[in-house]
Amino acid sequence: MSLTDQLLEAVLLYGLPVLFGVILIASVGVPFPISLTLVAAGSFVKQGEMKLVPVIIAASIAAILGDQIGYGLSRWGGRSLVDRITRRLGGAAKIRRAEAVSKKWGGPGIFFSRWLVTALGPWLNFTSGMARYPWRRFIVWDAPGQVLWVVLYVTLGYVFSDRVQYIAEILGNLGWAILALMVATIFGWKLIRYFRPGGSVA
Amino acid sequence: MTAYWVLMRMSRQLHGMKKITWRQSVVAVAFLVSLSLAIFFVVRAVRPMIYWHYHQDEPIRGWMTLGYVAHSYHVPPHVLHQALGLPDQPDRRPLREIAKAQNRSIEEIRNLLLEAIVQARRPYPASPSPPINPGASP
Repeated sequence: MSLTDQLLEAVLLYGLPVLFGVILIASVGVPFPISLTLVAAGSFVKQGEMKLVPVIIAASIAAILGDQIGYGLSRWGGRSLVDRITRRLGGAAKIRRAEAVSKKWGGPGIFFSRWLVTALGPWLNFTSGMARYPWRRFIVWDAPGQVLWVVLYVTLGYVFSDRVQYIAEILGNLGWAILALMVATIFGWKLIRYFRPGGSVA
Repeated sequence: MTAYWVLMRMSRQLHGMKKITWRQSVVAVAFLVSLSLAIFFVVRAVRPMIYWHYHQDEPIRGWMTLGYVAHSYHVPPHVLHQALGLPDQPDRRPLREIAKAQNRSIEEIRNLLLEAIVQARRPYPASPSPPINPGASP
């Protein structure tokens, strides 16, 4: 009796409130098999067990709300802890540099981690809050990404409603593959720079 | 392609132009590790696609309802209701609940359903009424 089975059973038996709760908690950072849940919800819509618009609205609100909780916890809880540590041990300059990087590149990172590389989502909520990424900008990147995620996954579940488990497996692995490819590209690019004639050796 | 190009560059480097620093070798290892991870996950993503191409059915799990199984296996729901001795009306319970109510294991339920599905899918399903045989008329 796996966690997945229990979650999907609960969604089938109790509907939207459970879907809302599961996505909210997972968005904060609890590793629930949420992709499968959402794809399954799309299939349940197709079979007439759930209704499309309420599913999309509830799931989107839950996801966005969960992200704000994760962001808020790290910004107003985690950050003060970090400040206390840096005051004692130093390293404030490094933190400031991380903040600058997050402000410059954080937006697209937040957007793509909502729907393409979903495993990174909760992490980016925490780093964004920790780096004091402006909250309004966070919401502006976060909300469209989450709505896109919900619509995409529910639609896939609706279209391939008879093979929910396969779809979720494929999506999960593709997400990790894209992340690994991105990392490989960054390192590959660094290597090329190292070995290009006259390239920097830094 | 990129990997090949980078490796060629590296080997040329190894044959003595510049000395490779410790940091560069760490980056090279990180590159290879992340590339192999990417390949690993691509393979894992493609595998279910192939599986699903050849065997169309997904395994029956405890969270599924009879309606879902019927939908996934493309058989009429009443066939599955019959197999479990249930009345032919929508049943929203997950299989695990049905199993509990019937004092059966989920494996038992799964086997009963699969059996019924195989029967329902036969090219010429056994008809409930006796076959009409014109040659045998009295």
